[in-house]
Amino acid sequence: MAQVKLSAVRKAYGAVVAVHGVDLVIDDGELVVFLGPSGCGKSTTLRMIAGLETITSGTLHIGDRDVTTLEPKDRNIAMVFQNYALYPHKTIRENLAFGLRMHKMDRAEIDKRVSEASSVLGLDELLDRKPRQLSGGQMQRVALGRALVREPEVFLLDEPLSNLDAKLRVKMREEIARLQKQVGTSMVYVTHDQVEAMTLADRIVIMKDGHVQQVGAPLEVYDRPANLFVAGFIGSPEMNLVEGRVVQGRFEADEFSIDLPKGMAAEENSAISLGIRPEHIEIDETAGDIAFTADIIEQLGAQTLCAGSAQGVGLRVMTTRRDDVHRGSGFSLRFPANRLHFFNTETGNRISTEH
Amino acid sequence: MSSKATFASFLIIGLLITLVLIAAPVVYAISLSFYTMDSFVADPDWIGLANYTRVLSTSAFWNALGNGLVYSISTIALQVIIGIGIALVLNQTFRGRNLVRGLSILPYLLPTVVIVLTFKWMVDGSIGILTRAIAALGLPPIHWFESPQAAMASSVMVSVWLWTPFVTTAFLAGLQTVPASLYEAAKVDGTNAIQRFYHITLPMLKPVLTVVVLLRAVWTFNKFDVIWLLTGGGPVGSTEHLAILSYTTAFTKFDIGGGATIATLSFLFLAISVFIYFRIFPLDEEES
Repeated sequence: MAQVKLSAVRKAYGAVVAVHGVDLVIDDGELVVFLGPSGCGKSTTLRMIAGLETITSGTLHIGDRDVTTLEPKDRNIAMVFQNYALYPHKTIRENLAFGLRMHKMDRAEIDKRVSEASSVLGLDELLDRKPRQLSGGQMQRVALGRALVREPEVFLLDEPLSNLDAKLRVKMREEIARLQKQVGTSMVYVTHDQVEAMTLADRIVIMKDGHVQQVGAPLEVYDRPANLFVAGFIGSPEMNLVEGRVVQGRFEADEFSIDLPKGMAAEENSAISLGIRPEHIEIDETAGDIAFTADIIEQLGAQTLCAGSAQGVGLRVMTTRRDDVHRGSGFSLRFPANRLHFFNTETGNRISTEH
Repeated sequence: MSSKATFASFLIIGLLITLVLIAAPVVYAISLSFYTMDSFVADPDWIGLANYTRVLSTSAFWNALGNGLVYSISTIALQVIIGIGIALVLNQTFRGRNLVRGLSILPYLLPTVVIVLTFKWMVDGSIGILTRAIAALGLPPIHWFESPQAAMASSVMVSVWLWTPFVTTAFLAGLQTVPASLYEAAKVDGTNAIQRFYHITLPMLKPVLTVVVLLRAVWTFNKFDVIWLLTGGGPVGSTEHLAILSYTTAFTKFDIGGGATIATLSFLFLAISVFIYFRIFPLDEEES
């Protein structure tokens, strides 16, 4: 177990820069999720930690060791790949034992570790089979087992659940979280699925175009997104973002107008964006501020999601289940001041408010 | 025409072609081995298995079988080793890779006679580039077609030259189906390049290897033109294998029955070898 420290880690392919200087400390035993859309540099960063990509500049430490230029095998890491990467011609037992054999471990110790891992992951029945005889979920567990037996300083997981169906994904997600807490080893987990990130992570690193956008605990990035990108990326359904201007201490977009929080640092007439999550908009039939007409109603079971317009601005509103709303239903909405987010439209950065 | 009739007509055409072009000549050739004939126009006399006992008791037959095995095994071994080596290089990323890949297939596209003549020119006693290179190195001259070992070596070399591109192409296709993540997983698991070759590349190439060795074995064992053009089976039968022995027996000694017998025995030997090969290396590895 060890701390992982990235200092200005950068990756360039010729003139194309894939990762622009990442600074990050992953604490011992911490589960950090790299989250972002395709091509944001999250997998490249993970692969640089693994040693599968060279680091163009910057340094990488695992524990006290500078591993920047070391081969993957000398970094004491274990990795789980998106397509599992199990050796197809080897049995499950051989797959689990292979890394230990290559590290010239004692036979008895290999057997002990393989049997421990296989019982933890429920692989006992599968040990003499070949990977092609396994289901996707079973292969995923073998891939996890292969990492587990190595007892590395860091686990690296590259979109490990993206090849599984939705139901299995939830189950495996829980299993990974349980395993990580059980063994207490630092883990770096790459995903493009924000639900996975929110549920698994101790901290989330959100990336876009090779830049780190925000690093924080799941609720921290949910409650205080650092910029427009994070605001739109975290949360499902995604945050309502409305572009407008500051006019006499109010936020205005078309007919839509709302009071700005007191003490907010925004110049008159500057272009700002208002953000509010659909679940934070309240329906108040009597004392609401803004009239809303629903166009589309999505019944999700426990909740009802309404998409519609409020004074010329498209909004989505999520409430606890309401059976009485239909297309064309009108409501009065309230925007709790402590749930509002404001961003500089040009830079995308969050504008700090008092709350 | 109904679909049944269409199906039947295609089937009949296929069967007729097989019958006329493959089955009939094979059956005819095998049947010739039970007769004695002085020429192709003479009346055949039935002699049962007498040709077989006669052929099997000659040293020429066993010499040709031995030569065929030495020629085939060394040719295939070299082709596989060189073919995998070149395929591994061509599978790397480098500038001009597609051009090099295209060029590497060239020898396979050339007629055998061109390759053989080029080789003969290269080892020509006075102007040959190989002869001169050997002389420049201060080594004794090699009598390519006069020494039995050198004649066999030149037959093997020319065959390797001619057919390695095919083997390379097959292995290259095989290599491209190996997911890069397997190599990455093996790197993380602590392997070096040689271990990755043994633990990933070779097992992943096994299906291609099985087919390539089989095809090359059948083709090489029956290969006639390279040796015929290069050495004619000489010197003194040192490169004569069963295909050449069968030809010379039937067409230069006009022992038609004897030639047919050698061809039939060669066919039987290959059939049994292929059967054993498939028992050892089954193509379908699915386990129940």
